[in-house]
Order: sequence, then structure tokens, then C-alpha cells
Amino acid sequence: MEAHNASPTQQIRIAVKVETSPTTTEPVNNVVVAEQHLISQILIQFHAGYFRIGLSLCCQALLWKTLREGEDQGDIALFTTGTLSVVYLLRCLLHFEMVKAEFLDHIGVNYLFAPWISWLLLLQSSPFLSPKTFHYLILWWVFTVPILALDVKIYGQWFTKGKRFLSMVANPTSQLSVIGNLAGSSAAAQMGWKEAALFLFSLGMAHYLVLFITLYQRLSGSSSIPTMLRPVSFLFIAAPSMASLAWDSISGTFDISSKMLFFLSLFLFLSLVSRPTLFKKSMRRYSVAWWAYSFPLSVLALASTRYAQEVKGGVAHGIMLGLSALSVFVSLVLMLFTALNTNMLFPGSTSPSPYNSGSIE
Amino acid sequence: MENSGYSLSAPQNYPEIIPSLIDYIGSKRVAGFDSIEANNNVSDHSQEAGYQPSLTDGGSEVPISQNDASQTIKSQHSVSISMPSSPVGALLQSPKRVLFSDKNETIPANEALHTSAQSETASSQQPKTKYYSQPMPRGSANPEVVIDGACLHHFRERLRNPRMDRLKDKRFDPFKTWSGRLERQISNLRGKPQEEPEANVSQSTEIEALPVDRYFDALEGPELDTLRASEEIVLPEDKQWPFLLRFPISSFGICLGISSQAIMWKTLATSPSTDFLHISLTVNLVLWCISLVLTAIVSLTYILKVILYFEAVRREYYHPIRVNFFFAPWIVLLFLALGVPPSVAKNLHASLWYILMTPIFCLELKIYGQWMSGGQRRLSKVANPSNHLSIVGNFVGALLGASMGLKEAPIFFFAVGLAHYTVLFVTLYQRLPTNETLPKELHPVFFLFVAAPSVASMAWAKIQGSFDHGSRISYFIALFLYFSLAVRINFFRGFRFSLAWWAYTFPMTGASIATIKYTNEITNPVTQSLSVILCSVAMLTVTALLITTCIHAFVLQNLFPNDIAIAISDKRPKSQRKWFHLRTGSSDTRDIENYLKFAFPDSKDNEASPKAQVPDDEALGPNNGHNV
Repeated sequence: MEAHNASPTQQIRIAVKVETSPTTTEPVNNVVVAEQHLISQILIQFHAGYFRIGLSLCCQALLWKTLREGEDQGDIALFTTGTLSVVYLLRCLLHFEMVKAEFLDHIGVNYLFAPWISWLLLLQSSPFLSPKTFHYLILWWVFTVPILALDVKIYGQWFTKGKRFLSMVANPTSQLSVIGNLAGSSAAAQMGWKEAALFLFSLGMAHYLVLFITLYQRLSGSSSIPTMLRPVSFLFIAAPSMASLAWDSISGTFDISSKMLFFLSLFLFLSLVSRPTLFKKSMRRYSVAWWAYSFPLSVLALASTRYAQEVKGGVAHGIMLGLSALSVFVSLVLMLFTALNTNMLFPGSTSPSPYNSGSIE
Repeated sequence: MENSGYSLSAPQNYPEIIPSLIDYIGSKRVAGFDSIEANNNVSDHSQEAGYQPSLTDGGSEVPISQNDASQTIKSQHSVSISMPSSPVGALLQSPKRVLFSDKNETIPANEALHTSAQSETASSQQPKTKYYSQPMPRGSANPEVVIDGACLHHFRERLRNPRMDRLKDKRFDPFKTWSGRLERQISNLRGKPQEEPEANVSQSTEIEALPVDRYFDALEGPELDTLRASEEIVLPEDKQWPFLLRFPISSFGICLGISSQAIMWKTLATSPSTDFLHISLTVNLVLWCISLVLTAIVSLTYILKVILYFEAVRREYYHPIRVNFFFAPWIVLLFLALGVPPSVAKNLHASLWYILMTPIFCLELKIYGQWMSGGQRRLSKVANPSNHLSIVGNFVGALLGASMGLKEAPIFFFAVGLAHYTVLFVTLYQRLPTNETLPKELHPVFFLFVAAPSVASMAWAKIQGSFDHGSRISYFIALFLYFSLAVRINFFRGFRFSLAWWAYTFPMTGASIATIKYTNEITNPVTQSLSVILCSVAMLTVTALLITTCIHAFVLQNLFPNDIAIAISDKRPKSQRKWFHLRTGSSDTRDIENYLKFAFPDSKDNEASPKAQVPDDEALGPNNGHNV
């Protein structure tokens, strides 16, 4: 039994611990007797935050592609993202009210960007589709239109709606919206659509400026993010790196603006890494929030790869190797932990709901 | 109040002198309360119910004339609180009482004697009864034992040596490194006669880091260095503290001012657009040497302070405004490297740059991280114009690195500086209601606004190779801010001079240098005259400041006043919670109102006041009134 108290309008959810894992190849329908029961249980507990896993793996795929300049390692990523998307689609269809509840939560809504980002990254790293093909274009539209729709809704809310002002709802996961725009922009630039790329880029950067300042000011103190979700602070690293990559795609070379964005990201990484006490509490127990470490590191490694390719110095190469190794290491460790803790993937009665772990504050 | 303490028997282990003291205090106790009440309403320099006992006759009462009413009230309260006549007696009674309601209170016996001894010897001084708060170690296991030993020891010492040697003044021990143990070690090494072994070394254990709220509660003023009327400090106010304790980190401002002048004269002499002035490089050489010497002196002094008075340095570090000045030494070194006369060194080695930037980098990681990770030192709470000092270091480093020919690392620091400057700029412009440190009036500290954009424009010009659009945008922003402050010059009034003012001159100099660089790019009479005007203004300001400094140093002899900001107690004085809760800018009506509210408190009224002291930012809720 757990009470989901995200906002006064929330309903009480009853969740039961389920022993399963989305990344295993064991199909759920092996369980004959309680098949439907099991599925609905999974769907109930599955939330958009699980797309962190998809995000990380897709970004890893892109990283490998960039590192090896062509070869693709995207099989696992493709499979995982596909599975996650299917599961979430089912959830939309069967439990729409829960999706709606997620949409209203100030942290959960940002993770609705995550699937589209994953797909866009997969698209960019895909070996099958060259950016010049028609299919690439179609897929780009398919993935970008939802991002734009979400943008209009969420950004509009920031400065118009009574209850969801930016100063109230701003939290590190809000940067996912910015990252979504930037991912769309970089994919568009690869296609050659400079204007669309620039459009999405400026949209993302304008809101990033506002968000960065708001988050740095910490108007409401550190109480807006539950302790268990502290790893999402790593998203501070992801946004400038993504911007750096997007500008790199738009302008063609890793010029000074991209370098500055990359350096900012590097500085934030060093700043967060030198504060381990921030994350101590959230590291006590495995949770899917741990996957939040992996994606930003991968994006940073990607940017450092592009930087090293441009600058070609010893230090740059050292940074690139270090960051890439770190991101791969972290992803592997996370996969290991996930495999070992499959029962924790769907938290049961013992743990609170995903976005309101603040009760353990 | 702990009135039962005084009536018990005099402790046997104290010499006879104490009992008369106790009797004297006891007899005046009620009078003390009455006079406090009277003083509240009247608020004049009324005669204090003399808690100035003397050794010889227990009955004389020395009138204390206070300088201002607030002092009166303050000392009244300190007097009334330190009621228990003998700490040892109170100890015997109830160990908890020792801490005198759990705050930094006094040990009246020895301090009273100390005061009287002092007043006898220093007749020229205004004799005031000050019961000096000694910081109690937090969570110390055996406070009673500690106090006992302290009292005993102090008392014995005072009896033996009524003429105090300031160096051996134990009151400053908590501020010394390892609470004075280091000093004793050094004296031991030098073969000085050994003092009595301290029986209570644990008494002056490290004080914990003061939360930033204490600084906001206890201090006020644009530089957060003026004590609020309701607060007390842990060091004696009437006495001049040891020089090192009075030497603030903002003294590095002098070096900042002079070394930036050296750069300005170098630029004037070497720029093609100002050739018509025919400035020689000698001025640059002279100024550079002066600033080098000054920097060496100030650095050495501060290093001594770090070694001998580490606790004071820690407190400065936790001060929300002074912490920014910890960047100042490194910025000075960068300025020196920038302004080095061509006759001294043509090209500086790149490794020097890395050496100079490492401390800045480490400090940045710490301070910007504090801004971001929230908590009590988050930016929305502590933002103040002095934070510009934390940002400017990035740009100065980028400028120097680019001048040396480095490519990537200057861009790194420029990017970091730019990102954080944007955040700071917006935050300061917003003047958030949660922001407690922004001065309400104009103050020279606002000139720091001009520093970052002007240095950023020069750095960007060096990185890009020419004074291009980005530099110009930044330069124009700096110019605009400069003018918008200059036209309001008549609002800069009524501020106490402090050494930190030197730090506010380098933005003017920076703007002049940026103007010269701009003039190099766009040479016409307008820009040239602008550069001449700005340079003259900067030079005049520095000269005026130099004269003022000399006056304060040699004529008024108060260049280094007691540094109140580091000596605040770590808990609000209890009586204040009862009688007042003064916040910023208390009015008389509010005082009286509060007094009347608490005029006849219950014996257990203390819980009423903490509730009433809800800090501003929490009172308004998480959105802090942004739903407009």
C-alpha cells in the first residue's frame, strides 16, 4: 500500500511488488496464468522516469558511433528503447489517467520528453538510415512534433499559468525540455535543414538561459527535489554539452561557442563530482534514478570527443579518453546493478512513489 | 533569571575578595532591573546601576557614561544577564546553569575584576562595564569543569598580574590558531618563560562554523560590518584588539586599486591612440613597484594572520561578503602580471599562469557550488555586489592567458565566468526580497558592477584578436552601468570609510583601460576624449582615496578599527529575544511596541520570541511572492 501524494488531486495508488525486468529478453507472456494481472501491474508502476535507461543507452550508442566513426553498437539501445516505448504506449492506452497524473507532476512532466530524445539519438546513431534519406526525414518529424507540442504547453505554462510558474516548478529535470529541443536541432542540422535546426536551437537556448539562472538562484532552497532524485542534478552537465553538439552540427565546426559551452559543461561536471556528499543519501539504495548519472556523462563524453577531434592536442585527447571511459564504466555498472536488482526496478509496497521520495528527506 | 545563583555561599576555593563582590552585586540586583526598564523608555545616558565593582571597596559605584543609547541598552542587558555571582557557585547549584541559558555568557568574577583593573590603569578610556562573552565550546562534555578551571586560572592570573599584557590576553585565544596553543609552542621554542600550564585547554576549542544566518542577523550595513544594536560580540569592544585581528582581508583592496592603476598607465603609455599624451613608461614602473611592495606587505601580514589567528580567518571566510575578497590576492597577482613593465619582463612563462589560476579555480568550484547546491548559502539569499569579485577573476585570468598566447584554457575560464556572471547579474538586478545583503542605498560597492563587463570585453578582444562585436557589446554594457552610477553620484553619501573602498576603484580603472582598447579600434576625438576623461577620473579617485587613507592612518589612527564582523556570537543574546526582536531598520515605535508586548513576561516566555523571528524568506513561502 502506498499513498501517492504528489498533489491534492492525486488518487491513492495501490501497488504491489513485481518481480520482473524490462531489459531481460524473457518475454512477460511466459507467465500464463497471471499474465494480464502482471502486465497491468507493470503498467501501473512504469513511469516515464524509466526512460532514463533508454536515454543512457541511446546516448552510449551515439558515443560509440562517434568514437569509432561509423560502426554502430546500437542493438541493445534499439531493443531497450523499443521495449520501453511499447510498455509506455500500453500504459497510455490502458491507464491513461496515470499518464495524465504524471503530466501534472512537476518532475514527471519533464520525463515525457525522454522517449523522444532517445529516439532522436537513436536516429542519429543509426547505421541504417543516412541523414539524407526520406525515412530519416519522416522519422525526424514523427519525433520532433511531440517535442514541439510539449514545448508549447510547458513553456507557455512557465510564464502564464497561475499555479505552475517557473519559479515554483523549476527543478533540474526541467532541463530535459531544453535537451529535447537541442536534440531535435542537432538531428535537423544533420539532415541539412539549417533553419529548422536554428529554430529549435534558439528555442532551447532561450529557455535554457532562463532555467539556468532560476536553478542557480535556488529560490526555494533545495526542497524542490526529493533526496532520492539528487542524481538528476547531473542534468546540469547534459544541457550545455547537448547545446555544444547542436551548435557544432549547425555551424559545421566545433567553433568557439561550442567550446565555451563544452567548457561550461566540464566545469559543472567537476563541480558536481567534487561534492559527493550531495549524492550520498540517494546512493544508499538502488533505484532507477541512478540511471540519471549515465546520460549526462555520455553527452559530455560525446562533446569531448568532438572537441578532441577539432583541437587535436594531448590534453584534449586525454580528456576525451577519460570521459569516455568514465561514461562507459558508469553505464556498465548501472546495467550490472539493474540486473542484480531487478526486483527493485518496480518498487513495491516498501518504497514510495517515484517523484515523491521526498518523504525520506 | 538565574537569581538563585547569587545567594548561595561563596565558593570556598576563591579568595576573600569575592564575597564582597557577590554582596555588592546582590544588593544592586533589583536596581539593575529597574534601571533597565527605565532606560528603555528614556533611552538616555542614564547611569548604569553600577556593575563596576572594585577590588578595594565593594561599595563604590562608578558611573558609566555610554556613548549612545544602544550601547546603554546593550550593556544593560549584558549586565543583567550575568547575574550569577559566582560561576562556580552556579555550577555547584546546577551544572546546566553554567552556560547561562546556553549561550556565550560571561564569567563575571574574573572579568569584573579585569574591568576594574583595566579602568584603573587606563583612565583615559571610557570605563565601561563589559562582561565579555567567552565562547563556550559547543557540545563540550564537561562545561562545569571547564569553567571552573578557567575561572580559577584567570582569577589567579589577574590577581598576580593586574597590568595586562595584551599578548597574553586570554580573551583573544579562541581566535588564535588552535586556540593559542600554536602561540605557546612558538614561545616555548623561543625560550620564553613558560606560563602556567593551562588547565583548561579544552575551553577554547574550535568554534563551529557560524551559519550564514547569524551573520545576517547580527550585522548590517552594505558591507555587513556594523553590529546591530541588539547583538553582542565575543571580543571586548572597548579595547583595541591585536593588530592581526583587526586586519581584514579587504585590505587586499589597496593592492587591487594600485595595481590596476599600474596597468592603466602602462596601457596609456603603449597604446597608439593615446600617443598624443606622451606618457612615459616610468609612471607604470613606479606604480608597479609600489604595488609589488604593497602586495608583499599585505600578503605577509595576512599570512601571519592565517598562521596565528586561523579562527578569525575562518570567520572571515564564512562571512557572506568577505568570502569574495578571498579571490582578491590572486586577482592582484594577475594584475601584477598584466601590468609588469616591459623593462622588467617581456614575456612571462605560461606555467606562471597555471600556477596563478589554480587557487582561483579551486575557490570557484567551492563557491559556485555553494550557490548552486542550495542550502543556507544559496545565491538568492547571499547575492550582493561583492560577488562580482568572484566572477572577475575568471575574466582577468582569461585576459592574461590570452595575452600570454594560451589558447584553450582562457576560453575555459571565460566561459565559466560568463555563465556565472549572467546568473549573478540577473539575480542582483532582480533585488529579490529574500536577498538580505543588498544595500538599500547606493554605496561604492555598486561600482563593482562595472568590473566584469569591462574586463570581459578586454578578454574577449584578446581571445578573438580584435575588438569585435562581442567585445563591443560587453564594453557598452560596462559603459552604461558606469554612467548610470556616475549620474547618481550625489546619492553616495554618508558612508563610513573602509579599506574595502579601494577594491571598488579598480572597476573604474578597468573601464578606462577598456575605453583605451576601444579607442585603439575606433580612433576619433570622441573616443579619445572619453578615454582621457575616464582615466583622469580614475586617477583622481585613487588619489582622493589615498589621501583619505593616509588621514585615517596617521591622523585619525583608525584605519584598522576593531573588526566587528568576525566577532559575532554564534547565538542571539537571549535577553534580546525577550525584549526586542530588532530586524533591519527598527523604528522607535516598533521598539516600544515590542517592549510593551514583552514588558511583563512570564517566567517561561522564551518560546514566544523564537516563533516571532521567522526569517523573511521562509515566511513568504517557497515562491516568495513571485506569483504576481
